[in-house]
Amino acid sequence: MEALNIVHGMATVLSDPITIVFIFLGVFAGVFVGALPGLTATTGCALLLPFTFGHEPLQGILMLVGVFCGGIYGGSLSAILLRTPGTPAAAATMIDGFPMSERGEAGRAIGLATVASFAGGIIGAFVMTLLAPKLAAIGLAFGPPEFFALTLFGLAMIVAVSADSLMLGVLAAAIGMWITTIGFDPIAGSSRYTFGVRNLLGGVELIPILVGLFGVTQVFLRSEKLLVFPKSARGETYLPTWADLVLTKWTAVKSALIGVFVGSVPGAGCDIAAFAAYSELKRSEGPESDLGQGNPKGIVAPEAANNAATSGALIPMLSLGVPGDAVTAVLLGALTIHGFEPGPVFFTTNLDLIYALFAGVILAQLALLIVGLSLTGVFARLIRIDQRVMIPVIMFLCMIGSYSVRYSVFDMFVALLFGCIGFLFEKTRIPLSPMLLGVVLGTLSEQNLRRSLIMSHGDLLIFIQRPVSLLLICGAILAIALMLLRGRSKTPRSQ
Amino acid sequence: MEICKSLMIGISLGLVAGAAAAQDYPAKDVTMIVPWSAGGGTDTIARSLVSQAETCFGANINVVNKTGAVGAIGMGATSTARSDGYTVGLVTFNLSTYGLLGQADLSYGDFDLIQLINQSPGAITVAANSEWETLDDLMKYTQENPGVVTVGHAGTGGAWHLSAATLAKKYDASFNYVPFDGSANVRTALLGNHVAVATTGIDEMKQLLEAGEVRILAVNALERADAFPDVPTVSEAGYAIEAPVYDWRGLAAPKGIDDAVKAKITAGFKACFESENFQALAKEKGLPLVYKDPAEFETFLADMETSLGAAIADLGIGK
Repeated sequence: MEALNIVHGMATVLSDPITIVFIFLGVFAGVFVGALPGLTATTGCALLLPFTFGHEPLQGILMLVGVFCGGIYGGSLSAILLRTPGTPAAAATMIDGFPMSERGEAGRAIGLATVASFAGGIIGAFVMTLLAPKLAAIGLAFGPPEFFALTLFGLAMIVAVSADSLMLGVLAAAIGMWITTIGFDPIAGSSRYTFGVRNLLGGVELIPILVGLFGVTQVFLRSEKLLVFPKSARGETYLPTWADLVLTKWTAVKSALIGVFVGSVPGAGCDIAAFAAYSELKRSEGPESDLGQGNPKGIVAPEAANNAATSGALIPMLSLGVPGDAVTAVLLGALTIHGFEPGPVFFTTNLDLIYALFAGVILAQLALLIVGLSLTGVFARLIRIDQRVMIPVIMFLCMIGSYSVRYSVFDMFVALLFGCIGFLFEKTRIPLSPMLLGVVLGTLSEQNLRRSLIMSHGDLLIFIQRPVSLLLICGAILAIALMLLRGRSKTPRSQ
Repeated sequence: MEICKSLMIGISLGLVAGAAAAQDYPAKDVTMIVPWSAGGGTDTIARSLVSQAETCFGANINVVNKTGAVGAIGMGATSTARSDGYTVGLVTFNLSTYGLLGQADLSYGDFDLIQLINQSPGAITVAANSEWETLDDLMKYTQENPGVVTVGHAGTGGAWHLSAATLAKKYDASFNYVPFDGSANVRTALLGNHVAVATTGIDEMKQLLEAGEVRILAVNALERADAFPDVPTVSEAGYAIEAPVYDWRGLAAPKGIDDAVKAKITAGFKACFESENFQALAKEKGLPLVYKDPAEFETFLADMETSLGAAIADLGIGK
């Protein structure tokens, strides 16, 4: 049944070359905005939204889907090359991607990211096509306690992954989480740590923090040493080698499945999917692996997961009318303006559109592979540009990116401040990744903890009475326990 | 003398330019600031209102989302924009509560008001498999078991929290309020049985009601909603309330706009508001449109602040 529908949908999409052109345009634009630090897939979709009004709904929506997929992939390019994740979803890719590019393997890293994104996207799209209604129901099982346990798991994993010392890791994560408590608190309806500054009432925006912590810090570090990157080996191809693909194939499949599932949980987006896959990779590789120092699997896992999560995020949007993340919220708005109402009845009333949409998502992955592989050479050449030119350019992009989130000069200062904080952290060897994840997950974690406790009238047992949440909490405890055991069995790492 | 002359010429040229500005308005694209994120309910309404602005308004209107601070960033930006008529903004319910909740120093007095767009009543909704068939069942249960029933709402001090809380307060029903970040999350939590009851805008439940996933026990308004003729009002369900809390959205411009320009803006938006396109979309979404001209809008907002002030003080969440 599904197979027949999808063939029919594919025929609808392919019958009009304009649709294919739109998908390519969307993917291309997406890669471009995604690669620019600060401009996210959400921004790209919002910018292109008015452009779709004058076109066929299917074409308009598929262009936006192209921007979505392209944007999530594009973020990894700047993560690998500049150590500045273009989008939050690429933050996990940076952990292993940048060390690879420092080693002179930027081309290999980008090639792997491209193929992993394609593989993740295709697997995600097929899972979505086959299981959309069923996965939507599973996503609903995630209530406040499960969300809190998920964030606890993610934070425990990242501390275990990136910190040499439990103390420093927890400290960094805690600072990150504290930052998210600034601003209006929707639970109590009051404002915290705002000191009467209106710009802080909504909290500190994530993008300027991200750009500051990684981009601006990078600018400072580079200026200090005028540090020259090892150049890419000459004549390097950007097609990943067969050996790399064989090495990472199961990582890609597993991460894609994690990605599509996490993506389908409303409220958890591509960034959380990427970290979840990275955490799972860390768990399965064991404590002795060289993850974090440029392991190819460390690129494949988050990239496969975040592109699979694009399809995952479409599931609750189409079947429940509930957006999985910010980008799908924009897509939902687009569908509404085009006269559709996604939701429980959408699947029965607009079957043709749905399957044409699914077919379009699959085609968007092919477009991504083609656009990605033909652009990687151009992007990888970026790092050969003289540092004295690159540093101001990165700084400029960082400022533009911070400003453009909500057209705010205030956010540019936020980025500068976090650049200084990041620089200090680098100097004092406090790991940045736990802080980043603290910022990404802080709000989700705090609000769902409080929501759960409101639901249970303050009883902590609510977290262990529910199986999914119990499982996740056990995982978190295990991660920290393993880290401590490892610390005891080995002599302290020399710095 | 020469200086005086050029000054005179300068002033008269300026006056001519001013008059010409009103006559030519709109001579270029207009920017509309939306204080909520792209793709949300407010954004969708804004974008569909201006999607054919070229014909109904006489110029393109570009939507810019300036989000954050429960809308105060975007509304604040509108209030401080240049008052040349080329920046207008959406204003929403929260404008009535910033002062009352001590969130921001911003109120309707900081704007030249243009019009009211919609006024939506709240709804009390349960999942289709819930044990409560009527509002009476629910209220009786809560009165006997205080603090047990969980009610999801879109944010403390927001319209839907106040809508349900004022009703509960009046009838001594003690709910356990669980705040979420927006109504979309409340819907998800209701479907997943993480909360027992949801308080949202009635239009926000249209889809789920049609799909048979939920049951709307009552609309918290004085009259039934047009798009939901079968849903009883709270007073029909036996729980009358004099001043229910309504959510609202409207349009405003920075204070101090030239009167002639303002008249053109008001007429232009009225035309867009009345366009078949926009009316059809609102009908499909179950969104109750209500037009009020600048003067009526101002009275409406003054009344709103009085009744909300009482409600918030009553609930003890204000500053």
